[in-house]
Amino acid sequence: MKRGELLGSLEHIILLALVRLDGNAHGMIVRREIDERTGRNISIGAVYATLERLETKGYVSSFTGEPTPERGGRAKRMFRVEAAGKRALEVSEQTIRSMTAGLKDRWRTI
Amino acid sequence: MSRSSPPTCACWLLETIVPTPYREAILGDLIEEYTIRAESTSRSTASRWFWSQACRSVPSMIWSSLRSGNCFTSMSVAVGVYVFMATLKLAADWMITKAVSPDQTTRVIVAPIVFLTAAAIGGCIAGRIRRGATIFLASMVTITVAVSIYLKVCTIPVPWWYELGFLTLGPLAVIVTPTLFGRLKQQGPVT
Repeated sequence: MKRGELLGSLEHIILLALVRLDGNAHGMIVRREIDERTGRNISIGAVYATLERLETKGYVSSFTGEPTPERGGRAKRMFRVEAAGKRALEVSEQTIRSMTAGLKDRWRTI
Repeated sequence: MSRSSPPTCACWLLETIVPTPYREAILGDLIEEYTIRAESTSRSTASRWFWSQACRSVPSMIWSSLRSGNCFTSMSVAVGVYVFMATLKLAADWMITKAVSPDQTTRVIVAPIVFLTAAAIGGCIAGRIRRGATIFLASMVTITVAVSIYLKVCTIPVPWWYELGFLTLGPLAVIVTPTLFGRLKQQGPVT
């Protein structure tokens, strides 16, 4: 992750979902996890577009599974978080922590 | 549409719009989830959910294609095929004029046949080269016909539904013909 480059909010959430799912999941599972935890009803297209972007950045990798009849003979695309993705998450978390540190009292006055 | 099959039009929309690398995965995910939802709720609820997912995915997929350059390739293919279609139609018109010197009535009858044949051939070629190009080609055909109607290019008096037929059936021929010939199913690895 380049210095100063932060994850977008959806990138952040999807990476966290992948970590929660043991870093190994397909798009619909990621979508469901986010929906259940945050109530955000994201489209499957947005999930895959973000996963594609994360893959281009080297934060996640993917592999194709076996086609199954339940999926109309279509294969799953499984994603896992890479070391660069974990680092990006740490940097983002650290940045958020640094920026929110000491703000607890100020929330009340805003 | 059978008990466990999702809406065909929504599937087709996704097959046309979604870029190749994730097409199978997205459709597979949606079909799997649709089946679960159809069994746990109802088929209509599951269909509504499927349509909502398909429609809401379109902007993300178009944006993703634009970022990766897929859209520009599809547009280039569409422009190339469009030029070919126009040439084909002009050549056919010229040959018909030379061969039979048709009167006005014959022209009115022959024009849609030539136009729709050119549109169908163009659609097949575009779909064969790149699946997403058919949408751009259909849009270009729609715009061309709309402009022709607006500028009153046709000097022969015709009823309103005649021109409307060109406007609707032309783009439809571009989009539907490749599907009818079953070409789209085989084009995954090509695009």
